[in-house]
Amino acid sequence: MEFSYEVKDSYAEVKADGRLNMVSAPKLREFVTDVIAGGSSRIVVNLENTAFMDSSGLGALIGCLKAARQAGGDLRIAAVQPQVKMVLELTSMDRVLTSYASADEAFGND
Amino acid sequence: MTEVLARRTFRGLSTAEAIDSVHNELDKLWEDAPFVQAMDQMTFTTAVVESASNIVQHAHPAAARPVELGVDISVRTTQLQARVSAYHAKPPFGPLEPGTADDDAESGRGLALIEALVTTVTFERQDGTNTWVLTRTSQS
Repeated sequence: MEFSYEVKDSYAEVKADGRLNMVSAPKLREFVTDVIAGGSSRIVVNLENTAFMDSSGLGALIGCLKAARQAGGDLRIAAVQPQVKMVLELTSMDRVLTSYASADEAFGND
Repeated sequence: MTEVLARRTFRGLSTAEAIDSVHNELDKLWEDAPFVQAMDQMTFTTAVVESASNIVQHAHPAAARPVELGVDISVRTTQLQARVSAYHAKPPFGPLEPGTADDDAESGRGLALIEALVTTVTFERQDGTNTWVLTRTSQS
């Protein structure tokens, strides 16, 4: 899995491309932690190119969400693909991880 | 039991890298069996990877030999089945029933997720090997 980020006007967009599984989940958490440490606590994780996520990946997103909130911000996810949507729904975590159609919409009204 | 229309197997050391290998075998399996509906492919892939990850994370060696991960996936006309095994492993420690995780918990959802994805899950323990048998009744 490859990670990249871009600081926008009101948030930082993290792109996670590949499989978000037990191999890549700790790397995502480390990457987002570094972005938060760099001063961005409003994070959008763009999952447009994340075709697969398991419970380890879900756990990493929850860890990143808590880290962002502890820093005074929030974490939202965008462009969720069908398999990731299925995992979020089956675990009922779609109630916790707010999903938006695009990164631009995630913090569009705050 | 109807004939096996496609099959893929993996066996190797129970390491994080093995998970990507198992996932690659699943991708190849669906190339061999394109008649399996996309929803069945997606759900079964998720269940198998989740089970294999559970072994890599939690299976402990019974003796000096390291734990090996084995996956045997077969496609029949109306059924997908995976035998996901931990060789040379101690019996599982802790409950085999899925628990409920708090909203802010970062782990503890794997077993519940597997149960939601497949039709049946059974556990076998034989000759130092723990095997999870996942079956999903296919819509094809």
